[in-house]
Amino acid sequence: MGLFDRFKSKAAKRAVIIGLDGTPYTLVRRFIEDGTMPRLAELAGRGSLLQMDTSVPDISSVAWTSFMTGANPGRHGIYGFLDLQPNSYKIFFPNSKHIRSATLWDAVGKTGKRSVVINVPSTYPAQPLNGTLIAGFVAVDINKATYPQELVPELKRRDYRIDVDARRVQESHDALMDEILTTLDRRIKTLLWLYDSQQWDLYIGVVTETDRLQHFFMDAIFDEQHKYYSAFKDFYSKVDRFVGEIASRLRDETMILMSDHGFTKIEQQVYLNRWLVEHGFLKLKENARSIEDIAAGSLAFALDPGRIYINTKERFPDGIVDKADSSKILAEIKVGMSEITAGGASIVKRLYERDELFAGDCIDSAPDLCIQSVYGYDLKGAVNKTQLMDREVFTGMHTQDDSTCFINASADEIREGKPHITDIAPTVLAAMGIEQPPGMDGRSLFRNSGN
Amino acid sequence: MSQKGFTLWFTGLSGAGKTTLARLVEKELKQRGHKVEVLDGDIVRTNLSKGLGFSKEDRDTNIRRIGFVCDLLARNDVVAIAAAISPYREIRDEIRRITTAPFIEAYVECPLDVLVERDVKGLYKRALAGEIKNFTGVDDPYEAPGSPEVLVNSSTETPEDSAGKIINRLVELRLVQAALEAALSEDEDSVVRARLEALGYV
Repeated sequence: MGLFDRFKSKAAKRAVIIGLDGTPYTLVRRFIEDGTMPRLAELAGRGSLLQMDTSVPDISSVAWTSFMTGANPGRHGIYGFLDLQPNSYKIFFPNSKHIRSATLWDAVGKTGKRSVVINVPSTYPAQPLNGTLIAGFVAVDINKATYPQELVPELKRRDYRIDVDARRVQESHDALMDEILTTLDRRIKTLLWLYDSQQWDLYIGVVTETDRLQHFFMDAIFDEQHKYYSAFKDFYSKVDRFVGEIASRLRDETMILMSDHGFTKIEQQVYLNRWLVEHGFLKLKENARSIEDIAAGSLAFALDPGRIYINTKERFPDGIVDKADSSKILAEIKVGMSEITAGGASIVKRLYERDELFAGDCIDSAPDLCIQSVYGYDLKGAVNKTQLMDREVFTGMHTQDDSTCFINASADEIREGKPHITDIAPTVLAAMGIEQPPGMDGRSLFRNSGN
Repeated sequence: MSQKGFTLWFTGLSGAGKTTLARLVEKELKQRGHKVEVLDGDIVRTNLSKGLGFSKEDRDTNIRRIGFVCDLLARNDVVAIAAAISPYREIRDEIRRITTAPFIEAYVECPLDVLVERDVKGLYKRALAGEIKNFTGVDDPYEAPGSPEVLVNSSTETPEDSAGKIINRLVELRLVQAALEAALSEDEDSVVRARLEALGYV
């Protein structure tokens, strides 16, 4: 093989992305060191395991959309699991049709290459592509979640589950754990079946059960006496075996293993709308259930997780804030919220104004302010709370600065600087020898690449 | 959300339904918050292209003018909809090449015998009787697009079906946002809400 051929084959490799929803980098490091994940340890020894930043807000719908488009929410238009309809307080749930940027697999498909995309959140309803796609969270109907349709009978025959039914926690934690493990087993079987049986140039397979486990059992892994301590570790051993199955199948593909955000233990949930009410910024109707029940005379309100909106005349039907006064209100909220404390310390790590985070065609639907909390204090948008902080059934919360990013390339092939979730798509394109399209904000992690 | 402009170019034989579809698509896009202008071939010929005839040269000039105005509108975030027979492929492709905003070609297909039968404007009858010369499809050629962005057929689809097909294609091309209400059914919406509630997001 000549030099040119070698270069060509290297530059046009296939690529595999394994997503572990919500798996923290620090936890992966710990499980590598304590022997819980030996196969991942072996893989990590042959590449670079890095800590990665994700989007703000650091929730799956925003983070995975940023992953798949390589773009910031100002371009792709997804700011949360729920959003408000234009010029309204009416809530809607954004889905794949609301994503305003092209995806990684759109770019791959344009070159005639095939993608297999399984269980990536926020891809429902499934949109046509050159390849196969099974949508992830929050997919409802398997028929609308699957492209092409011909795959549906086989998925049904294999009892594929789109998602863990997290409501089973109301039954018991045992029931939920059982639900999580069963869904994981079926997920892994389907991920491997499609890896082996489909033709692809780009394979993306996501495990969501990691996130579900951590929402309800995150406290367990920090306490050896915890009832679910070993169940938590056993769960990650299963994930490790899956990673090993993929690793054993690799020929010369570029492989990335990543998560869309990290996780940590919850100390308290913090209800930002309660703070806004207590400080005179927000008025709610009696027995308000959602922000749709906002009352006249409100200056600002919050949406989950830490999104703050100034109730301006130009943007909202009952807005009372003049454009000229908007920055003053914003400044007051920033100062006030910085002073929310627990145990003597501020629970706010950083406050970002809109233009510090977002840029693009969808900027007009962006929140005016995004609040990032310190570890342990989970910001929520609920409106029916009577106190500022409380504990709920959840024991884990997302983190922005502790996502996982493994790539099977040596350290000297990787550029300087902490990776960001929007860098994954350009990296994969570079590995596949495809030019990065305009509209992606991220940049390839490879030191020497056009992207 | 700011809306981007583009040119939606209808081509097809006289009477195929270009104007009807242009108006239906216009209405739908306006409801979704777009600014829209329709440049209808019949109307353009009474002002912008007044005095031009139906020779190939005049037809090309007419189409170039419509294409020029469409692009002016589209690059100012207006959706410019052109509804003109535009029989020559070469000139349509020229407009596509030189426009700076996205150019979407919608081919309204309809068999000639159906059009002659339909003959809404009574023109086919006159053309076939030799009263009108250079009539596209009768004694003047029509060159169908090779690969239009969207193809509709007015002999087999209702105008509403065709308009829906065009809107869906525009959504697919990410030029138009999916209708917020129609994206998920009410039942699906409540399932989504329940799932999000179970994880504490609602």
